[in-house]
Amino acid sequence: MQLQDKRRIAILSAYALALHGFESLLPAPIPWLKLGLANIITLVALILYGFRTALVVTLIRVVLASIFIGAFLGPAFILSAGGGIASVAAMGLTIKLFKNLFGAVGISLIGALFHNMAQLSLAYFLFIHRLEAVLIISPFILLIGSLTGIVNGIISGILIKNLLKKDAEKIQNTI
Amino acid sequence: MKETIKNTTMADRLLFLFLILASIAGIFISRDALSQGSDVSIEIDGKPAYTLPLYTDRLLSIDGPYGPILIEIQGKRVRVKESHCPNQLCVREGWISKGVIVCLPNKLVIIVGSGKKDRQRGIDAITG
Repeated sequence: MQLQDKRRIAILSAYALALHGFESLLPAPIPWLKLGLANIITLVALILYGFRTALVVTLIRVVLASIFIGAFLGPAFILSAGGGIASVAAMGLTIKLFKNLFGAVGISLIGALFHNMAQLSLAYFLFIHRLEAVLIISPFILLIGSLTGIVNGIISGILIKNLLKKDAEKIQNTI
Repeated sequence: MKETIKNTTMADRLLFLFLILASIAGIFISRDALSQGSDVSIEIDGKPAYTLPLYTDRLLSIDGPYGPILIEIQGKRVRVKESHCPNQLCVREGWISKGVIVCLPNKLVIIVGSGKKDRQRGIDAITG
């Protein structure tokens, strides 16, 4: 791994961690409503710097955030890690398989969908064991996830566009 | 706003439309499938612990990993009155007359349901 990659991962992880921490401070008006702001950073990392960077950033964020919040290896940590890894994997695969079919918004939606599906199945197998209970809450969670997913996708799209513009300017300046 | 819409691809929009419609349909389907219950089943750690009639008012205290959890049944509705779990989602869910309340930190599931399966379980709970 190059030094620049390490620096990039460190900075992205710091941003993701800050957003994750900020989000956990917000009051949740509706039960199960989570904005998933950290997914913005994951998506930017994935599109600009590739799958490996995004995966490492997600893992660092999940582990450190749970240590800071005090939920390391608890149920919340397992759900958060499972959701994070599933969403990165799904988004990475989407980019690989359908190269230009989806924009940032579509990839974000897929990430949100797989994040929620992974969390629901983990919750079912590990904690709830009642299919009925999981099936009743699933549609609500998927609906909320789609709405927050589209917002995150739009923010990511704007961020990526500006980052690329800045990069282009920098290259022009050095030349 | 116009620009953000222009920046999405056709596949993005179709996917969004599909997800929204599918989840809204799912909400209605699951609501329909839900029977108006007459029993409250309380499960701890995946195992059925209590089955109580919904039409008898009572206050129940259960020991959880974060201390006692207060469950209140009143007026054919049930709620988690007090819990010491960190996120308080179960308390915020409020009163329900059907459906479920899930509290992951406490590994607690409260289901309002009816039917033979639950009733069978009720008898088990009384004899045990």
